[in-house]
Amino acid sequence: MIEAIKKLSRNTLFRLSLLGAFLFVISLAVALGYVYFATITAELNRVDRSIEAEISELQQIYDTGGFERVEVARAQEILTASADSGDPKYQQIYNTGGLDSVSRAVFLRGASYEGLYILQTSRSVSGNLGEQTVQTTEKEESLLPGLEGRSFTKLKFVYSDPRNEDSEISDRRGRGIAGNIFQNEQPVAGIVVGRDVEAITRTGERVQTAIFTSSILALLLGLISSWFVSRRFTRRVEAFNKLADDVRSGNLDRRAPRNYSEDEMDMLAEHLNAMLDHIDRLMKAMRYAGDSVAHDLRTPLTRLRTRLESAAIDLGDTPEADTLFAAAGDASELLKTFDGVLRIARLEAGERRELLTDVDPKPMLDDLAELYEPACEDAGLSFTSDISSGIMVLADRGLLSQAVSNLIENAIKYTPKGGKIHLCLTKNKMGRAEISITDDGPGIPAEDRERVKERFVRLDKSRTLPGSGLGLALVDAVADLHRAEFIMSPGLGVTEEIPGLKAALVLPRRKSLKSK
Amino acid sequence: MRILVVEDDEVAAEYVRKGLMEAGHVVDLAPDGDLGLEMARAADYDALILDRMLPKRDGLELLGDLREDGDATPVLILSALGEVDHRVEGLRAGGDDYLAKPYSFTELLARVEAIGRRSDPTAAVTKLKVGDLEMDLLARTVRRSGQKVLLQPREFRLLECLMRNAGRVVTRTMLLEKVWDYHFDPQTNVIDVHISRLRGKIDKDFDEPLLHTVRGAGYRLQV
Repeated sequence: MIEAIKKLSRNTLFRLSLLGAFLFVISLAVALGYVYFATITAELNRVDRSIEAEISELQQIYDTGGFERVEVARAQEILTASADSGDPKYQQIYNTGGLDSVSRAVFLRGASYEGLYILQTSRSVSGNLGEQTVQTTEKEESLLPGLEGRSFTKLKFVYSDPRNEDSEISDRRGRGIAGNIFQNEQPVAGIVVGRDVEAITRTGERVQTAIFTSSILALLLGLISSWFVSRRFTRRVEAFNKLADDVRSGNLDRRAPRNYSEDEMDMLAEHLNAMLDHIDRLMKAMRYAGDSVAHDLRTPLTRLRTRLESAAIDLGDTPEADTLFAAAGDASELLKTFDGVLRIARLEAGERRELLTDVDPKPMLDDLAELYEPACEDAGLSFTSDISSGIMVLADRGLLSQAVSNLIENAIKYTPKGGKIHLCLTKNKMGRAEISITDDGPGIPAEDRERVKERFVRLDKSRTLPGSGLGLALVDAVADLHRAEFIMSPGLGVTEEIPGLKAALVLPRRKSLKSK
Repeated sequence: MRILVVEDDEVAAEYVRKGLMEAGHVVDLAPDGDLGLEMARAADYDALILDRMLPKRDGLELLGDLREDGDATPVLILSALGEVDHRVEGLRAGGDDYLAKPYSFTELLARVEAIGRRSDPTAAVTKLKVGDLEMDLLARTVRRSGQKVLLQPREFRLLECLMRNAGRVVTRTMLLEKVWDYHFDPQTNVIDVHISRLRGKIDKDFDEPLLHTVRGAGYRLQV
């Protein structure tokens, strides 16, 4: 799990798309924040403005009410016409009239609960919240436009709506302004004007939650989509990596998968394929040139050999004849090499696959064992075989014999005197026929085991021994023709320096070969 | 032997002719299939060397026509197509032996002499005799100077092949083909090893060796 995350974090596209997802989430949060500001905050500001306006209005109502009462008192001559605002009686009448007007206004406006009011005079507390428990949650000193010089306090509070005390949401939030009604710059009554903002606050909270939730959701979706995108991308990149590996290991006929969407990856695949086609053409041209050379050189070489042989025969039993026979032998070696090249070329063309027949490898291998056993004994090697019966394979008897013969000859050639060679036919765990030749000779290092299957590849230590470097190439070509696996592994050796070699041909099950 | 060589490659044909003549045979050359068929019908040859790819008339076609006439002249087919299936095709068409180009002349000579000899009516025998070496093909026994020689089945077949071609060279490739039915050349000296074992059984205790090695060619069983 941790390994998978580490691997994911190294993925270029995952990192890029994750960055994209983060940027998107931030943009989303900013946009939603603006929506919040434009709706909820603006609404609350509007409420504040109307409260401020109402405070001013109530002050005016006080003044208007007080002045009217003074006018009436003057008309009824309770107050002398000469009494001015400095007169205590005037002040008292004015104050009574003002407060009456204000409390009437507060009473009327509060009845509908559109506004929330507390009016506190020296004699009584009134207003629709007058008898409520009001809990102030926030306070802020504030100045109101047009009423500078008087101190007001902005409030946030919680109150219980007296109309539905029983309901679950009896605690409602409000905001308002607390201050005083003034007469001649003297406070005469405390006043609180508020508005119920429960609904809008609730909406605000919901919007906040929504913003938070949607951001988290977007982030999660971004993560998931980054993962998907990078996985898809990684799969396509991995297809290219696998292709490169395959081609490097010799499968020049592999091509990158295309989806023909003509996107960058598809174009990359197209270009890769074009490049591989080109390499393939070059390789084929090179090989064809080699094959043609081998083919064309055979005729003059054959003549050369014939001339040498007939000259040698002419000379009779002389030392010169020996030299000529040796030269003819060299020409034969060259011809054998060219024949080998052409034979492998023909096998690689795969034309003979149609000619495979059901073969019991046992008699074939018994024959080979019988053919090579004396040669092994002469070379001071012990030869054993363990050949199971009753295994059938689809094969070309001649070619398979030759392949096995090449492997046995290699074993004889490289295993030092006193060594062991073992020929074996078994059914392996997968139920496939396995023909193996195992020795306790020097073996082939793991890193060279694929390379020695190529034509003319000979390992340094074998260069001094006779051979053309075509033996294993032919075995490989025969194995390919049979769709068999040609596997080399350490053999019977006891030390790490001399591990021995096990060369095995694992033939496919007959059914699977026929169905191909 | 009188041998007809049907081969369109003049240089190759000339070498074959020269070599066969030096080996003591009478040789006629035919450069194309039509002429080859005409000559084969006209004269009584001991053996035919027939190239598969010929102008005017294909080698196998010529062979087919010849066999239809009831002509049983032994035929050695030469071909640049060395694959086993081509060989089988050639033998099925009535050829007696098949040799892939490039061949060595000694190989060609040995094979022509072998098939030429096979036309001998005494080929269907039950007993073979070379000097004091006797082989009973029915009882599958071998005696030398009256002494029984014990051979493995494969050694028996090896000796049979040599005795049937007594006095003539048998190449290693021929032995591999006729005794083991393998059509490829091993790199190692497998045949030599088998021959030396055989030699140990039939020659070792006797003064005069019968099994000779012919340098650059193969083996010959001869008194």
